[in-house]
Amino acid sequence: MSGSINNFIILFCVIPLAAGLLSVPLVGRSFPSRVIGTLSFASTFLLAVYLLIQGYADNTIYVSYMGSWTAPFGISVVFDNLSGLLLATASAVALGSYIHSYSTNASHIERGYFHPLIQLLMFGVNLSFLTGDIFNLFVSFEIMLMASYALLTIGASKKQMSQAYKYVMLNLLASTIFVIAAGMAYGMLGTLNMADMALIVKTKLASGEGLPVGFTALAVMFLLVFALKGAFFPLWFWLPDTYYTCPISIAGLFGGMLTKVGVYAVVRTFPLIFTQSVADIASVDVNPTRTTILWIIAVAAAFTMFLGVLGAVSQHEVRRILSIHVISQVGYMVFGLAIMTGWALAGCIFYMIQHMVVKCSLFLCCGIMEKHAGSDDLDKLGGLLKRDTLLGVLFFVAAMSLVGLPPLSGFFGKMVIIQEGWNNGLWWLSIIGLATGALTLLSMLKIWSYGYWNPEPKKYPQAAKPENVKSSSRSGYIGIAMLVVLALFLGFGANPVYKFADRAGEQLVSPDAYIMAVLPKERIKLVNPELAAKLYDGIGHDRMSEPLDEEPMIISASYNKEVHP
Amino acid sequence: MTVVLAVCVAVTFGVSIYMMLGRELMGLAIGVFLIGHAANLSILAMSGSPVIQHDKAYQTAEFKIPPVLESDQQAKDWSEAQLIKAEHPEQDVVNPLDEMVDPLPQALILTAIVIGFAVMGFLLTLIVLTQRRAKTLDVNELAKMDLPTPSQAH
Repeated sequence: MSGSINNFIILFCVIPLAAGLLSVPLVGRSFPSRVIGTLSFASTFLLAVYLLIQGYADNTIYVSYMGSWTAPFGISVVFDNLSGLLLATASAVALGSYIHSYSTNASHIERGYFHPLIQLLMFGVNLSFLTGDIFNLFVSFEIMLMASYALLTIGASKKQMSQAYKYVMLNLLASTIFVIAAGMAYGMLGTLNMADMALIVKTKLASGEGLPVGFTALAVMFLLVFALKGAFFPLWFWLPDTYYTCPISIAGLFGGMLTKVGVYAVVRTFPLIFTQSVADIASVDVNPTRTTILWIIAVAAAFTMFLGVLGAVSQHEVRRILSIHVISQVGYMVFGLAIMTGWALAGCIFYMIQHMVVKCSLFLCCGIMEKHAGSDDLDKLGGLLKRDTLLGVLFFVAAMSLVGLPPLSGFFGKMVIIQEGWNNGLWWLSIIGLATGALTLLSMLKIWSYGYWNPEPKKYPQAAKPENVKSSSRSGYIGIAMLVVLALFLGFGANPVYKFADRAGEQLVSPDAYIMAVLPKERIKLVNPELAAKLYDGIGHDRMSEPLDEEPMIISASYNKEVHP
Repeated sequence: MTVVLAVCVAVTFGVSIYMMLGRELMGLAIGVFLIGHAANLSILAMSGSPVIQHDKAYQTAEFKIPPVLESDQQAKDWSEAQLIKAEHPEQDVVNPLDEMVDPLPQALILTAIVIGFAVMGFLLTLIVLTQRRAKTLDVNELAKMDLPTPSQAH
């Protein structure tokens, strides 16, 4: 049954790609491109939710092999709970900001290939959430980054052009390091398939042979690349300067999603490969790479959380406050990673998805605030609660979700992470996390009191009458409202969401299920017969009951066709 | 061969890092392009020595096996050679893998080159547009441009 579902997962890449290509010839006509774009995001969202629920019920990981080449030789596309949660949220965020863009995008931006670019961005993002191959991850990062470079400079204003080079150059440099690291990983382990790498690392640890020389250095290189994309502590300097220059719906999408792709890459690869837990291997005390990397991540988390929020408190423009806040919030996710227990990773994943939704809706609120005041400088804002009560309510809910007041979504993410940190000897990080939460409240209240409670300044531009702004940005309100409702669902429905996140965390810390889902039995037997015996013991049906073939693996097309007719 | 490659990689890295330390956007771009080439060369070194200890592939924990053999027949030959070798270690069996270099890193490089080419095109366009809009390519001047003015309120 799951065999038929397996091939559906490639639709997450095909739908945005097809929609993007379709909207290229329609570039001058906004209505058809909007319909295509909305349908594309809505369909990937519904598909992700369906597959997530189905996969949770069946307790399976969906795997699709491109061109029927089995792992580890072909590219495999893997849909587990982590991918599912992130795909659903990314599509929802894209849908929200896309609907918002109807009312806020200038026409020259729409004509500048906005629709195809945003679809291709989502194509890259979805592929990087799905792929089970490190080099394919690099390729999908490049697809995503090319689209993001173009979206960042769309319209080509002076302000954008003078800041864009930082983002482009740094990401090019990171991509180069990624290529080198991927090559080194291949040289060290002889494979680039993530499941296969995990299996080999596990075997090397279990056999007492130990990890290859320079494995920690390799892990640090990967960490450097992903940390730069995810804006971890020493590598976040590019973010505040770039996110505030582009059109607001794009800024919302970037602020919500792009850094999370970097965090996702760490969440995917590190527990699986580099910092694999050795708790179930009796002969090994501790994975030496794990200890080193977790310390680096813990220190990065402390600085990311605290310096990020200090930066946000010091700013006085809404867009820059929100941009720098992204960094501070990434810090919580990194904190969850530094603990790296299953429950902490569940907290980290939950925090990621809630942050994508909430941060994007805050950026989108900022877009309508700018429409009212003509600027995002807090001194020029004021009286918005009276002028636009609906916006005030939406902003308040989103801001308090970000801060993490109890019934709202941010609370559940932070609570789990901080509690797990406290129980696992990282009490100093938990204290920093709590302090950061207080400062987050301060900076959000700053926007709230300046923008919404302060008396209205005398010099609001005449053109922006409240009624005009409201009537011209209906789709903006719809976009924000959708995301805020989703954020409320994440808060009040945290229990079911945490079931998925918990399963995802379990799948991450004990990669056996992932290895078993992706790799064919023959490969596991070849590399690690004991593990194969353990994994397939008691399952004894169809493929597993075949006799153990003594002939060595034939690694060619014929072999693959035999396994997957 | 590996030494020659290593020297090439080192020199290319050195030049590109020197170029990237400059304060001019064009030089920065050239540095970024060169470092891409250095990365590709360093991956080439990964495929340098032909195939590692394939004869022990299914006995020890050494895993590096090139994923491609030329044909079905060759694959069968190889597996037969393995069996003969395992039974009679003293016998000299011709093994196709002794002459082959692992082709996968070259495929990786090819992908990276193509992507790098596209990115290069984009970056050059970006630089031309930056020059037109901002009238300068000096990083110091660009950095001063359009920074938000500190608020007077406090």
